[in-house]
Amino acid sequence: MSRFTHLLSPLQLGPLVLKNRVVFSAHLTNYAEGGLPTEQHAAYYAARAEGGAGLIITEEHSTHVTDWPYEKLIHGFDRRVIEGYRRITDAVHAHDVPILAQLNHNGGQASSMYSRLPVWAPSPVPDPLFREVPKALELQEIRAVVDGYALVAEHCMEGGFDGVELQCSHSSIVRGFLSRATNHRTDLYGGVLGNRARLLLEIVAAVRSVLGPGKALGVRLCGDELIENGSTLDDAVAVARLCEETGQVDYINTSIGVATATLYMIEASMQVPPGYAMFIPSAIREAVSLPVVGVGRFKDPLQADRALQAGQADLIGVVRGQIADPDFVRKARSGAAQDIRTCLSCNQECVGRMGLNRWLGCIENPLAGREAVLLPTPRRRGQRVLVVGGGPAGLQAAVTAAERGHHVTLFEKHERLGGQVPVAASVPSRAEFLDITRNLVSAAQRAGVDVKTVCEATAELILSEAPDVVVLATGAVPARPWWAGDLVRVVDVRDVLEGRAQPQGRVVLFDDLGFHQATSVAELLADRGCAVEVMTPGMVVGQDLGITLDLETWNVKAAAKGIEQTTDVVAMGAVAEGDRIILTLQHHPTGTDLTRTVDWVVCAVQQRADDALWHQLRGAAFAVHRIGDCLAPRRAHAAVIEGHRVAVGL
Amino acid sequence: MTPEHVDSAVDPVTADASPDLTADLAGDRAAGLTALTSAVSLRGRTAPSRVLFGPHETNLGRGRALSERHVAYYAARAQGGAGIIVTETASVHDSDWPYERAPLAAECGPGWRAVVDACGPALVLASLGHTGGQGSSAYSQQTLWAPSPVADAVSRELPQVMEAREIALLVAGFAAAASLAVASGCAGVEIEAGDRSVLRQFLSGITNQRSDAYGTDKALLLREVLVAVRAAVGDAIVSLRLSCDELAPWAGVTPDHAAVLADEVADLVDLLVVVRAGPYAGSAYRPDAHSPEGFNASLCRDIRTAVAGRVPVVLQGSVVSGTFAQTALDDSVCDLVEMTRAQIADPSLVAHLRAGTAPRPCVLCNQACRVRDARNPLVSCVGEPRSGYETTDPSASSVGAGGQRRVLVVGGGPAGLECARVLAACGRDVELREATDVLGGAVNDASLGAGRERLRDLTDWLADECRRLGVTVTLSRPVTAADLASYEGDVVLATGSRSRELPDGRLTGREALRGPVPEGAVLVHDPIGSWEGISVAEKLAAEGRDVRIVTGDPIVGTMLSLTGDLADCNTRLQRAGVTRELKSLLRSTSEGKALLEDVWTGAQRQVPCVVVVDCGHRLPLEDLYVPGLARAGDCVAPRTILEAVLEGRRRAHELCLELVGA
Repeated sequence: MSRFTHLLSPLQLGPLVLKNRVVFSAHLTNYAEGGLPTEQHAAYYAARAEGGAGLIITEEHSTHVTDWPYEKLIHGFDRRVIEGYRRITDAVHAHDVPILAQLNHNGGQASSMYSRLPVWAPSPVPDPLFREVPKALELQEIRAVVDGYALVAEHCMEGGFDGVELQCSHSSIVRGFLSRATNHRTDLYGGVLGNRARLLLEIVAAVRSVLGPGKALGVRLCGDELIENGSTLDDAVAVARLCEETGQVDYINTSIGVATATLYMIEASMQVPPGYAMFIPSAIREAVSLPVVGVGRFKDPLQADRALQAGQADLIGVVRGQIADPDFVRKARSGAAQDIRTCLSCNQECVGRMGLNRWLGCIENPLAGREAVLLPTPRRRGQRVLVVGGGPAGLQAAVTAAERGHHVTLFEKHERLGGQVPVAASVPSRAEFLDITRNLVSAAQRAGVDVKTVCEATAELILSEAPDVVVLATGAVPARPWWAGDLVRVVDVRDVLEGRAQPQGRVVLFDDLGFHQATSVAELLADRGCAVEVMTPGMVVGQDLGITLDLETWNVKAAAKGIEQTTDVVAMGAVAEGDRIILTLQHHPTGTDLTRTVDWVVCAVQQRADDALWHQLRGAAFAVHRIGDCLAPRRAHAAVIEGHRVAVGL
Repeated sequence: MTPEHVDSAVDPVTADASPDLTADLAGDRAAGLTALTSAVSLRGRTAPSRVLFGPHETNLGRGRALSERHVAYYAARAQGGAGIIVTETASVHDSDWPYERAPLAAECGPGWRAVVDACGPALVLASLGHTGGQGSSAYSQQTLWAPSPVADAVSRELPQVMEAREIALLVAGFAAAASLAVASGCAGVEIEAGDRSVLRQFLSGITNQRSDAYGTDKALLLREVLVAVRAAVGDAIVSLRLSCDELAPWAGVTPDHAAVLADEVADLVDLLVVVRAGPYAGSAYRPDAHSPEGFNASLCRDIRTAVAGRVPVVLQGSVVSGTFAQTALDDSVCDLVEMTRAQIADPSLVAHLRAGTAPRPCVLCNQACRVRDARNPLVSCVGEPRSGYETTDPSASSVGAGGQRRVLVVGGGPAGLECARVLAACGRDVELREATDVLGGAVNDASLGAGRERLRDLTDWLADECRRLGVTVTLSRPVTAADLASYEGDVVLATGSRSRELPDGRLTGREALRGPVPEGAVLVHDPIGSWEGISVAEKLAAEGRDVRIVTGDPIVGTMLSLTGDLADCNTRLQRAGVTRELKSLLRSTSEGKALLEDVWTGAQRQVPCVVVVDCGHRLPLEDLYVPGLARAGDCVAPRTILEAVLEGRRRAHELCLELVGA
């Protein structure tokens, strides 16, 4: 196989031999319970090992009781973790893949909510997210931190790990010491870089003495904190050199940003170009001879292979890519790279669920986060399943049903599959969202789904087909808000995106949804020369963009495009005045009325379920199921989950 | 192992935990709270007092079952004299999973049994509910159920419209859950039609837009549920928690509507808890101290009048003092009183009221007890941090009382006061020295904010308890390093915090709250987003000043999400005419202008600014600290009252336990 020769070549990593250069690097999962790793952890990592990852690095294991920033953190300092460690390492080693544990103390990037103990940090500088003043570490507490890393390293050795990685990068007490922004100490641990790195070097020495020579030790560094007075690339390069000089470190991993200040650059969404952080491993690789890991929105093997070929890194971290498709490497290796279910970088169910203390999932992969749950065998194989609607719900139902041995026909009344996905993805900044349709259509073809486009499934047609099961996935249609009346220049975002309306001039985008619908169309219209104001009853425009880490980038773009933002307003009525619309609103906190005289009003409001067939097929002789928006209009993930679930239940 | 005097010193009324109604009457008369603390009969069962501990989210559960932490939490309130304990609302059907630790009735049988076994003689009612469109799909990954396709104002998630199948499952779910609760020993059930409830959503014109029988008769589903529940539980108690005001008069349930409704269901229930809650009511159900004590009193009286004695009525809503509760009973506002937060603050509330002693006050801050938050914090209390931690934190009576070494506590804020109080209760000879002429520390400034006056009740109570327990309190006597060096005894530092060094002319938030603030346009610099900046801005706006508040966040007061004041404070500030300078950094000031910078775009702008009030973080006051000395509260790291009280208590326990163990 000549493709991906760089990515698929082996690498010596300290004492370990990796079969390829793809790393499933550390990331939170919220799978822990009671501070301990679970069966789900083992199944999750094992799926990626089975799929061919070269190296797996687990999520962080806390090294001390003072560190508990989020509920489902693994308490590595608790000996009871060892049983769970064993389960994880056995499951991964069964696929002949090495696995490292990430050790960390989050330092000041935490609160006392769970620990009920003061937060520890180099200096009393509150974290920008948690905003709790930490206790400045005293010397015996620094000893305790170092001892904590050594203790957890011991647990990891007992638990069968092949080594450990020290997270010193985006949320860590070590980062806190390394950074001038958070280290204001005047003792041996503050001041010049050598002093600021003292804690790191002490930890490296302590951990290596536990590991011995036969295990791997990595250090993950932040290449740029992207905060004022923060660490920059030069610091990272210098620290990498210090690490190499110890002779005890086997590789350097990299990241960018601070988790509690600039998270949107750590787990960048599709708004940020792929490979955006590769300047960091490139620079470090020039300074040290240790293998260096590069990360940042690597979605496909070709892109990763080229980065390696260009000498930007020795290894590539592919996290979301392997969440979406655990078989990323296996497919690349077997010449089926086009079958990889590529990550969208939508951040909706992976990153977006982490901040909300929920288990990690994936908008495209209904099994992500559920690897440990065994699927039931089909009740009866070979059922004739008729799926109506080719959006994500219908496609996923068809794919899963066909993969489970049913005979599936899918009717889509339009020529184009994907439902609302191609509509949403028609905004340039949302283009990568279209991959979900591409992946589903490709999977449907492989699974042998009989896809009939430009074919409207009427009740008569369905009844005449007399299938065993009907799955309705007929989607949703725009609903006019009560205040819009019949005004032709009050339209839905879908009218704009589907070309039925071409707003010009002054436009109000009225947003009831708080997600991409309004903000992306606002961008589109501004790009077309409209003067756009987004108005919302919410307290923030695009509130849910905060969850997917799109809020910062959208605000920057919105400002550049002159998009105005008005919050806390409800629409009260609209009337025509000539060609213009007078929109009346109320600022609900103060009860103040306001008006806007504009050329167009574009609404991002709740849609209406298209459930006509559901009612028409009531009492049919076969089972009828409803999934996705025709049940209740929501987001793509609900469609995929329900499509999968209904098919698994057949 | 516990010396008798410890219990009596700490909690005079819990030594004999089981309330002896006749014996306690003397205490009741002394306190003038006879009716409140005396027994009441409900459907042939006796509640030992007229005080109810209402259902609330605790996050104490294990999975979706009640845990041993729940049992200990409820048991403490029952032992303290609560008449009725209503357990955390359990979902009656697995289509409802509103928060991660939300109990599911089908998994609650053993938990209810354990709570009942631990809570005698209090009556235990199992709260049963379904949050409908106000739920969450995050955990179930399923659709929400609701009467009509109306998205919840907060989640903005469209629900699935309930058809006959779902309605039948819901009614059957209530019946099955009620049956299980009673079979598990509960005295009855409480049906949730209040804050977050599909039953309320059916009652409301905002959320019920159906054209079928459940739309034309909006109470139909509620009646069906109540009838089914009655059939399931036989002669057990059926209580109803009913929103009688959705605060949305254009289409929601209004008090007039609720009076008719209450009359309609009066004969179907044995107890009626009157609450206010609705889809746009936000924090109104259990608000912080910005709402007055007992705000539902007039609503409750009207409903009680409407039901005309056919069902006893419970007053709910920020009732925290015995006198208010008794007055409500005396004035025919209600027949029983829900005092949930007052019993989170002091589990022995009723016993204290019986004995005429002062319970630890609830200050209605909502800082630690309102835990409806994705992070799943455990219910607790700033003044009583053992609440919610009954199984892990030592009880007052489990701490030893050994040793004769005297103790010097330096600092009379909440940390020092709590430390001195607990040490004295453990029998130690305690001196508390405060550098200023008043006790209370940072709380004195914090309580200057509008709606925050009650915070002082806690430090006043702590100070009174210290005096009662014989702590030697010395004011206006700063302690020096020399004093400490020569002191023969144990020392605990609780010296509080200091301001960061600020540029010339800037005031601290505390200085601004104490006033006066120099003339001219004010810029409140609030990088934290908590109470201080808001209090300052509100105070100065009320004085007619030109006020701006600068925050790096997209809204003001982000750290108040737990207390429920987040949306409210933004509303108050806007009504008061305060300009919110959002998503902005304060870069510099000069000549009557401040230079602000957008946090994301870096764009700069100028706003009028003569006076800057800095509400940023503070630093620990470490003047007296030498390594190894015991410390508590802000002098370790400036945080909140909760951490101060918790650490003050821990330092005291460490001293006591150390001596017991030695």
